[in-house]
Amino acid sequence: MRAVLCKEFGPPTSADRVTIEDIPAPVPKPDEVVVSVKAAGISFPDVLLLQNKYQYTPALPFTPGSELSGIVKSVGMEVKGYKPGDAVIGKNKGCCAEEVAVPASKLWHLPAGVDFNAAAGFSGNYATSYYALRQRANLQPGETLLVLGASGGVGLAAVDLGRMMGARVIACASTAAKLAACKQAGADELINYEIEDIHVRAMELTGGKGVDVIYDPVGDRFAEPAARSMGWNGRYLIVGFAAGAIPKISFMLPFEKRCALMGVWSGGYTQRFPRESYDNITELVAMLAVGKIRPHISGIYPLENISEAFRALANREVIGKVVITTGK
Amino acid sequence: MRAVLCRRYGPPDSLVLEDMPSPKPGRGEVVISMRAVGVSQANVLIVADNHPNKRALPFIPGGEAAGLIKEIGEGVTAFKPGDAVIGAGKDGGCAEEVLASVDRLYLLPEGMDFTQIVGAGSYATSLHALRDVARVKPGETVLILGAAGGVGLAAVDLAKQMGARVIACASSPEKLDLCRQYGADELINYDGEDLRGAIKKAGGDKGLDVVIDPVGGKYADPAVRGMGWGGRYVIIGFAGGFVPDLPLNLPLLKGCAVMGMSLHRLAQHDPQAAKALRADVIRLLAEGKIRPHICATYPLEHTADAMNDLRLRKVLGKVVVVAGGA
Ligand SMILES: NC(=O)c1ccc[n+]([C@@H]2O[C@H](COP(=O)([O-])OP(=O)(O)OC[C@H]3O[C@@H](n4cnc5c(N)ncnc54)[C@H](OP(=O)(O)O)[C@@H]3O)[C@@H](O)[C@H]2O)c1
Ligand SMILES: NC(=O)c1ccc[n+]([C@@H]2O[C@H](COP(=O)([O-])OP(=O)(O)OC[C@H]3O[C@@H](n4cnc5c(N)ncnc54)[C@H](OP(=O)(O)O)[C@@H]3O)[C@@H](O)[C@H]2O)c1
Repeated sequence: MRAVLCKEFGPPTSADRVTIEDIPAPVPKPDEVVVSVKAAGISFPDVLLLQNKYQYTPALPFTPGSELSGIVKSVGMEVKGYKPGDAVIGKNKGCCAEEVAVPASKLWHLPAGVDFNAAAGFSGNYATSYYALRQRANLQPGETLLVLGASGGVGLAAVDLGRMMGARVIACASTAAKLAACKQAGADELINYEIEDIHVRAMELTGGKGVDVIYDPVGDRFAEPAARSMGWNGRYLIVGFAAGAIPKISFMLPFEKRCALMGVWSGGYTQRFPRESYDNITELVAMLAVGKIRPHISGIYPLENISEAFRALANREVIGKVVITTGK
Repeated sequence: MRAVLCRRYGPPDSLVLEDMPSPKPGRGEVVISMRAVGVSQANVLIVADNHPNKRALPFIPGGEAAGLIKEIGEGVTAFKPGDAVIGAGKDGGCAEEVLASVDRLYLLPEGMDFTQIVGAGSYATSLHALRDVARVKPGETVLILGAAGGVGLAAVDLAKQMGARVIACASSPEKLDLCRQYGADELINYDGEDLRGAIKKAGGDKGLDVVIDPVGGKYADPAVRGMGWGGRYVIIGFAGGFVPDLPLNLPLLKGCAVMGMSLHRLAQHDPQAAKALRADVIRLLAEGKIRPHICATYPLEHTADAMNDLRLRKVLGKVVVVAGGA
């Protein structure tokens, strides 16, 4: 079977960063399921992994990709609930391959009729944003949600989920095209933060009250003006620092506004609360199946063109999510 | 009547005692003949013009005043002259006669000691922080900075009653001993070396569930680093002299929240909640469930001494200023 391999760390944009090779097909361990992959999701952390800039150093060679959709090919001895032919999505390392072994605890059944591309690319981003908005912020209908980096992977998921949960969504992004995608995902208000002042606009849009929840996957110079725009009892969700620098916020801010600066780390949540975290994705799959959420897949690349997908991610061109298809 | 006045910002010694005309109650107002008034670190900081709540000069410093109603204004029906009350004055409470609005006035139960109820003032802050903001659950680990101070010691007392394991941090053995008497399980002298290590050790594998921080300054960073998953850090004040910054990667990896509160803001945004909180504290004191520790009382003319004690970190629990034989 074919798999994408990274054999050496280096610039993610160079065409030879990854190669496609034939390697032996995986055999399931007792608790594993081997999935014949239809599509795999890649995201910014993969770009960091290729450069050895992520939180951990992967052993070389490694296969990128952290989520997949496909059809069960074979199951391990102890696996219950899955059989060959079942449509599934799964989360694991090394998903950019034609066949991947996944522990059964990281698989979900995919209802009939759900698009394999959308299903492959949504669970990571939506799981993070759902955990953030629901378990962390407890976002309520009618509240105002401001999303930074709103056209990115987790950002656009937050816009879509905010809409679904009945919030008034203010999307912030850097270009008109990105903002148009946010509008399509259901954003009520748009701020182009390259040319507009986040704080001034957010206060205008809330009639001086400030926003209830802020979702921040970008950090850097965007964080402080956003944090100053929080209202009484506001919740500021710290999700990531895609824009580079780790911002610092004065203790005076939560003191004055009685608001909370809340860390969101969905990986940490999954480690500590595997059951709740699994159930979140089960709920999201059900919402996907009935069209309550609408993940935006902006690029679909065949396996052999994966370098182009990495280039788009690294160059900040991706809106929503890109997926890799195996053609199977 | 005599009142303490701040005519210029500065250290407590810049305060003056002056004779002033007695205040006249307007509509919905009363005049309290003051018997006891709370002075706290917030008053010291406001007099120094180093507090988020700014006051225009000249003003009377001090917190809530307790005493007997001397006179009532038009439209006041719930109170009558002679009633024992506590309330926040229109200006501060360091005066023999304090003008207060009935909106923020509370009747005291028969026989309640004026000095005690004033000394219990910090319990409102700590009760709100622990119960309403951090929502402490039994068995959780709560670390308290400035634990022998007004807010801190009240937090030790209340957190123990909520079933928490309490780690008290203060600057001297004497202060820590007082925290121990109030039930603290672990004591850390935070001016000793390696505060970060001491907090990590006391927090155990799980880390801290809650931090109560009325001090800020250099103690905040090691306390934030000691937080555990799902922890709540409550910012209450900045007695330590400077306002720290929070690098946002710390709460991210710990899955914790850094929150803040101010009773002053609560009264503006949610007056009902502020009132209920005040009533809770009066009830807790009446039932004997809380034990304000009052280390000294000073007569009105020595208000500056009370404030100097606070400024020089000499106060254990509370100092109270008294008048008229309280
Ligand atoms: N805490 C968690 O559990 C968790 C989970 C998943 C991801 N994350 C983190 O969240 C962040 C976003 O992840 P993602 O997958 O959504 O990434 P993404 O799809 O690349 O989106 C990131 C967004 O950030 C904005 N951005 C601003 N400055 C940027 C810069 N200098 N370089 C790149 N993008 C920049 C971009 O929008 P504009 O051009 O409009 O500014 C982009 O849409 C990452 O830091 C990731 O590590 C955290
Ligand atoms: N948010 C609110 O609603 C609210 C309500 C009440 C009070 N506050 C604020 O909370 C803070 C504490 O008030 P408090 O009445 O508890 O004061 P306090 O009784 O004086 O206690 C403050 C403690 O801070 C410690 N401290 C550290 N550095 C200090 C310094 N340079 N100067 C003075 N004390 C220092 C002292 O303990 P060690 O010697 O052991 O370090 C002292 O016991 C104040 O900033 C006040 O404005 C806020």
